[in-house]
Amino acid sequence: MRMDTVIMGGGLSGLTCGIALAKRGKRVAIVASGQSTLLFNGGSMELLGNIDGKAVNAPLEAIAALPQDHPYSKIGADRIAVLADEARQLLADAGISMEGSTARNHWRITPMGIAKPAWLTLSDHLRLDDLNNLPAKRVALMCIRGFFDEPNGMLEHGLQGLGLEVKKVEFTTDDITALRRSPSEMRASSLAKHLTSNNALKRLAEQINTLAGDADMVLLPSVLGQNDDSDVQMLQGLVSKPLRLVATLPPAVAGMRMQTLLRHYFRMLGGNYLMGDTAVSGAFDSDRLASVTTAKLGDMPLKADNFVLATGSFISRGLRADYERVYEPVLDLDVDADSDREQWTRFGVLEPQAYMRYGVATDGNLHCLKRGKPINNLHAIGSVLSGHDAIKMGDGTGVSLLTALAVAHDILA
Amino acid sequence: MVTSDIYNKEYDVIIIGGGATGAGTARDCALRGLSVLLVERNDYSTGATGRNHGLMHSGARYAVTDSESASECISENMILRRIARHCVEETDGLFITLPEDDLQYQQTFVEACQRAGIRADVIDPAEARRIEPAVNPELIGAVRIPDASIDPFRLTVANLLDARMHGAETLNYHEVEGLIINQNRVEGVKLFNKHDGSHVEVRGRVVVNASGIWGQRIAQMAGVKISMFPARGALLIFGHRVNNMVINRCRKPANADILVPDDTVCVIGTTSDRIPIETVDDMRVTREEVDILLKEGVKIAPSLATTRIIRAYAGVRPLVASDDDPSGRSISRGIVCLDHAQRDGLEGFITITGGKMMTYRLMGEIATNAVCAKLGNTAPCVTASQPLPGSEDDAPNQSDLTKRYSFGQRAAIGRHGSLAARIEKENDIDNALVCECEGVTVGEIKYAVHQLHVHNLVNLRRRTRVGMGTCQGKLCSCRAASLMGEFNHDVKRAQEDLASFLDERWKGMRPVAWGDTLRESQLTATIYEGLCGLDMAVNLEGKEDAQ
Repeated sequence: MRMDTVIMGGGLSGLTCGIALAKRGKRVAIVASGQSTLLFNGGSMELLGNIDGKAVNAPLEAIAALPQDHPYSKIGADRIAVLADEARQLLADAGISMEGSTARNHWRITPMGIAKPAWLTLSDHLRLDDLNNLPAKRVALMCIRGFFDEPNGMLEHGLQGLGLEVKKVEFTTDDITALRRSPSEMRASSLAKHLTSNNALKRLAEQINTLAGDADMVLLPSVLGQNDDSDVQMLQGLVSKPLRLVATLPPAVAGMRMQTLLRHYFRMLGGNYLMGDTAVSGAFDSDRLASVTTAKLGDMPLKADNFVLATGSFISRGLRADYERVYEPVLDLDVDADSDREQWTRFGVLEPQAYMRYGVATDGNLHCLKRGKPINNLHAIGSVLSGHDAIKMGDGTGVSLLTALAVAHDILA
Repeated sequence: MVTSDIYNKEYDVIIIGGGATGAGTARDCALRGLSVLLVERNDYSTGATGRNHGLMHSGARYAVTDSESASECISENMILRRIARHCVEETDGLFITLPEDDLQYQQTFVEACQRAGIRADVIDPAEARRIEPAVNPELIGAVRIPDASIDPFRLTVANLLDARMHGAETLNYHEVEGLIINQNRVEGVKLFNKHDGSHVEVRGRVVVNASGIWGQRIAQMAGVKISMFPARGALLIFGHRVNNMVINRCRKPANADILVPDDTVCVIGTTSDRIPIETVDDMRVTREEVDILLKEGVKIAPSLATTRIIRAYAGVRPLVASDDDPSGRSISRGIVCLDHAQRDGLEGFITITGGKMMTYRLMGEIATNAVCAKLGNTAPCVTASQPLPGSEDDAPNQSDLTKRYSFGQRAAIGRHGSLAARIEKENDIDNALVCECEGVTVGEIKYAVHQLHVHNLVNLRRRTRVGMGTCQGKLCSCRAASLMGEFNHDVKRAQEDLASFLDERWKGMRPVAWGDTLRESQLTATIYEGLCGLDMAVNLEGKEDAQ
């Protein structure tokens, strides 16, 4: 099979890059395992959330001061604002309706009721633009009976700490009670699958309207809208007060929605999404990658003019470690990582861990390196890149979106 | 009974140490009608009890080098199969000879086993491969012996429960700061309550020092000298159970020569290093220990090379200098019971140490005999015949399971035996699963919190196995923390507890943080820090490491 571009990895960065290329008429194939870290995304994108443990207010200014090896610095700090607007438009075109500004971070509310800085948050999810000017005074926190993937007590405590009056209401509906008969069915994604018919949503709305009392906003765990936001919109129409969703423990329905919508959009643009497959090796022709072999296609390698590595970090197996070294498993590319195992980690679980910053080495244009030499038709994007700690900096989704777009531009240029 | 009432009583016997030995002694004393208080500075089974293979020795390992220990082991092995069957899995074991080992040793080994009364059947290597497919196929000799797997956490809790059912009081998180001594007589203990920071004194007619390697420190408080030789052993837990039988190397005991199947995982160990007594609280596993365990483990079962290691841990054996050797260099391998009245002229104080987790019951019996001799109590010991709670004769059988037991109770029977019947099943929520890997329900967590002295998530893990499975507490720990926060009405503490739990897990994972273990760590960070922001809500710095 011959493509213009083959992208290894079908998560946020791979899909974004694929969409940007397909939109310009390129023939693109994405090799996707079918799982991505969007499964752990509560409905927000972040450009840059923290520096040295302190919340960032104006991300663009903070990005300008990042060190040279940060992926944003490689793209060019001056291009961030433009690429960010482009990313937001791309998400909107895919049907992902988000709100926020590049000039100033807002706060997303985590399942534990903690406010974290964010750039964009799904329009139907709880978002606080200003901690001194809350969108409600009194909220009804709707707690689904038997659903343990929302730590309601912590959420209540956190919201109270932010200055909200919280009324915690336990409830169920016939649909949810039926699900609970199987002890392992009470996950956010199972609920979302079952709470989708008009009748189920009506029963849900009835309960909420009966129990919400004098609250001026209703908060519901994010257990709706796995494929798009139509179920949420319908429920919002049926509930008499403003209703917002709050992120749950994984699987996060909001992230699954984003993944689904991006995939649909990519396919709508003619992209070829090879679901359930992974790249296993590649064939090089001097300083170029000639083809990539996948697990399923076997002896029919994928050939293309350009390749993009979007295989993610250790979680997604884009990077691997054995007891001697950190390596990139598909193409054995150069990695930025400490060679001494003792240096990979620190003693405290919440301390910054060195391995979080590891990734494939790239040149200034995000071309991958192999034995010190750039591969001119192979770029790396997203979490497989070295030079940043997505956990401590809160820049993972931003790096994925913006490096994907920057590389798409480089390929199209 | 509320804690202040416990403080104000005077006991026949106060036992220091909440490991298997202390728990076994408490049970024996209570069954003989004594009034008993057991105190433990951390959680129950945090010392060597919870830091070994989980191997129920047949005694074969000691047959050649230490026939006395071998005889004790096989005798206790047969007793535990009866009285603690809900803690035991009857796996049997193999002693294998590899090409690098001397096959002649097998003969010596089998003869020694026979002398100690341990069944030892030489079997064909091909037969060994058939009954234990995980074994190194290059083996040249095999002997089948009655080793088994035992859960030391469950065993300790069962002893404590029975002691309490017979009137004993037990306090965890109460550290002994000193002894009350009056004219050559120990009359009680001075305690520090770690929960509320208070200091109290409790009186007892006899005090038993059953605190393992920390026994030297306790003896010092009494002004008597015991010389301990801390022998540290490190172990690795693998992510699934590759073997169904215990596999030992048939050679003189050496590093990493035993692989034990425990529930859903398996454990290789141990290394053996003499360490200074000052370092017994540092349980960090070193890179060198990990490398030895891996190198040797793969020789026993080659598939370990590609099996995920989920955790590394270390424990310290309390070996004691023999009293009959003035140089202090000769070590006693067996059980040591010291009556300090005879030895040091100090009345009311007994030390029970040495021995093994495996012989905890016998140690309890010996210590209790010494206590009873002092108090003039003539009741006989019944711990060898009376089953522990959970292993009674009317423990549920398969057909009972489906008829009388709820989902949550059935899931918990392996952990609590017949006590699973006490798990609440009043409503649908009690049956909801909190930990999918280990099948722990809301009802079981309620039972543990209310009846098994659970104060935090690490305690809960030891009582129920929440977070002990292959996912190492990825989601269940948050669910459990949230539930405990609601039971205790303290959300902030629940978050701190959750972070401490993750930190405790990480301490075991860090020495083996590569492959899927590193991947799991990143996943945990993505969920708890990235998605949830737990790192912004709590600060672990300066927290005492005393789970």
